[in-house]
Amino acid sequence: MDFDFSSDQQALGEAIQRIVADHRALPRTGNIVEPRTFHPATGLEAALADGGFFDIAREPGFGAVEAAILVYEAGLSPLVLETGASALIAPLLTGEALPRPVAVARLADLTRGVRFLAEARTLLVDLGDDVAVVDMAATAVAPLDGPYAYPLGKFAAVPDLAAARRLGSARVGELRRLWRLALALDIAAAMQAATDFTTDYVKQRQVFGRPVGSFQAVQHRLAADAEKCRGTYWLAMKAAWSGSALDAVLAALHAQRAIAQVNYDVHQFNGALGMTLEHALHLWTFRLRWLVGEMGGYRAQAADVAALAWPDAPRKAG
Amino acid sequence: MEFAWNESEEAYRAELHEVLSTLPADWWESYAPHGPSSPRLMEHARRFNARLAERDLIVRHWPREYGGCDASAWQQIIISEEMWSIGEPRSSLYLGTNWAGPAIMKFGTEAQKRRYLRAIAAGELLWCQGFSEPEAGTDLGNMKTRAEPDDDGYVVNGSKIWTSYAARADVMFLLARVGGKGKGGVSCFIVPMDTPGLEVRPIPGVHSRHDFHEIFFSDARLPADALLGEEGNGWQIVQAIIHYERIGAGRYEKAARALAHVVDVLKARGEFDDPVVRADCAAALAAVEAARLQTYLVIDGRAKDKAPGAETYLARWAMIQADHAVANLSSTYLPDLLVDGADGHLRAQFNSAITAGIAAGAAEVQLNMISGRHLGLPRGA
Ligand SMILES: Cc1cc2nc3c(=O)[nH]c(=O)nc-3n(C[C@H](O)[C@H](O)[C@H](O)COP(=O)(O)OP(=O)(O)OC[C@H]3O[C@@H](n4cnc5c(N)ncnc54)[C@H](O)[C@@H]3O)c2cc1C
Repeated sequence: MDFDFSSDQQALGEAIQRIVADHRALPRTGNIVEPRTFHPATGLEAALADGGFFDIAREPGFGAVEAAILVYEAGLSPLVLETGASALIAPLLTGEALPRPVAVARLADLTRGVRFLAEARTLLVDLGDDVAVVDMAATAVAPLDGPYAYPLGKFAAVPDLAAARRLGSARVGELRRLWRLALALDIAAAMQAATDFTTDYVKQRQVFGRPVGSFQAVQHRLAADAEKCRGTYWLAMKAAWSGSALDAVLAALHAQRAIAQVNYDVHQFNGALGMTLEHALHLWTFRLRWLVGEMGGYRAQAADVAALAWPDAPRKAG
Repeated sequence: MEFAWNESEEAYRAELHEVLSTLPADWWESYAPHGPSSPRLMEHARRFNARLAERDLIVRHWPREYGGCDASAWQQIIISEEMWSIGEPRSSLYLGTNWAGPAIMKFGTEAQKRRYLRAIAAGELLWCQGFSEPEAGTDLGNMKTRAEPDDDGYVVNGSKIWTSYAARADVMFLLARVGGKGKGGVSCFIVPMDTPGLEVRPIPGVHSRHDFHEIFFSDARLPADALLGEEGNGWQIVQAIIHYERIGAGRYEKAARALAHVVDVLKARGEFDDPVVRADCAAALAAVEAARLQTYLVIDGRAKDKAPGAETYLARWAMIQADHAVANLSSTYLPDLLVDGADGHLRAQFNSAITAGIAAGAAEVQLNMISGRHLGLPRGA
């Protein structure tokens, strides 16, 4: 066992952290942050692309752990960008560098809403018994507005995927494993960033002559949330390392189950300010509000955990 | 980054399994459900520990000079997983291997090391921990038991409470006050349980009839060499060992194996196809694995000689959640199996899980520590 990154992984993480920090500023008009549900990380995305980071999983000697480092570190940014599908899922699923951004969806999601669908150049679709790789150049997608800190889009009608390339039924499990891993990392990062942001806030904000964060009622909930962040992080990193389908779905399950409490707590502790678009909190919490239901939500992950961890459950007689 | 056991760790686990295979056939029925402090288990532990010692299995992670094999801290958590998960057949030998021994290694005199460390490695000493008092549980600095210096040692008066294992232990790791009030007055002593003036009274508990005791000291005389470290530095010793106490027992592994057993029973009853039941079991498994990984993070730090930090408290909190998640499954879906004589495995996990957030520091204290040390939140008024 060794919980430390290798020196290469360490250096990679630090390089990404520096780039993320350099491109962290929220767009402002005068002194005021522009009031948006999310802020696209255009500069960050370009810098990461220039550095070849989206292709990290295909570098010799690198793979899922390195891609996981990217997804996690980029996910801490208040600015939003697509990393999971293009840096982790697509390259490890296909071995190719597919045009990014990449969106990933189940068939039913296509007419309901998919993260990054409007700007995606590639779409991966879980068809149930196969995986479709869709070139998005000629498709029309409507962007969706809503209380989510992601760019969302949907098709007006189920698109015709007959011409789309298929990866074969054998790749469905792998798509789901990688998607769950990316999902767990996105959640771990957004929960961590929201908790860190809130921890800073409650150290500053004074009520009754003392910081909000000095009240034990606040401390204990934030402490429990901090553990959920760390637990999710380690489950996800182990899943990245092991390549196990069970590890990935356990991480996604733990992550999705943690969201409700963490989101509730961090919003409570930011008070009304957390309800404003100029305060950054929602940039993570309203990602989590989307992620909590992705891939069918915790009900679906729990069902698969049970199926993978405890196969051969006899059916009730009669 | 590496999440797999290496060959020597696997080999160590296999050796432990060989010794575990010698446990009595009625282990789950007659020994484990009553807890590691039950008379039958404690008496059996003396023979069992001798079998472990024959093969040098007890303190592999200690330095050779103290009876160990210079192995890494990972071997400590391996033996802990294997033992704790089935009800701790070593009984309170583990207090010695996990933290009393390391405290003696760090703060003891050469004579104390010679006397106690080899005996722990040989599986000869069952320990108990005399910290809590009626007015000093969480607020340990409020303890009142006094050790008055006299010519050739100390005279102890006062009482301890909730002391596990006391009725059959050989030695106590005692905290008593030599100096004045507060933490600065606390000192550590190693006290043989047959010391005249030391009386043990059992207190039946909901989790075990045999775990809790009250200890009364009435002019109990201790020789000068019973003192561990210096007078008044007991608090420092407690601070040094607290991480080993909080993260030492493989509670998550006990929860993991009990969960596997819950699922087996539910399957056998034809009740495991209910999606709610399956989801609850899945969520408990995730909690167990989150606790396991955070525990391993602590052990990784130990193996690398890093100073212990807030990870200890995060892991302990995670472990409490995991333990309760599994115990709640038993009482929700298999309540009939928790009655006496029904299923010793589930009962053993249930009994120890319900103590997890109180023994070895209240859950709320872990949260206080996470708030201060991990999040850096300001102290309350
Ligand atoms: C099964 C078991 C075995 C034990 N074995 C031993 C043993 O062998 N030796 C020994 O010395 N002791 C032992 N103990 C005692 C244990 O160490 C104490 O129970 C523990 O330290 C808590 O002390 P207390 O019970 O007096 O609770 P109190 O200190 O009275 O606290 C009660 C509750 O108040 C809350 N609380 C307390 N302080 C705070 C705070 N600062 N912030 C927020 N909430 C707080 C917590 O919820 C806590 O559980 C054992 C306990 C159990 C349950």
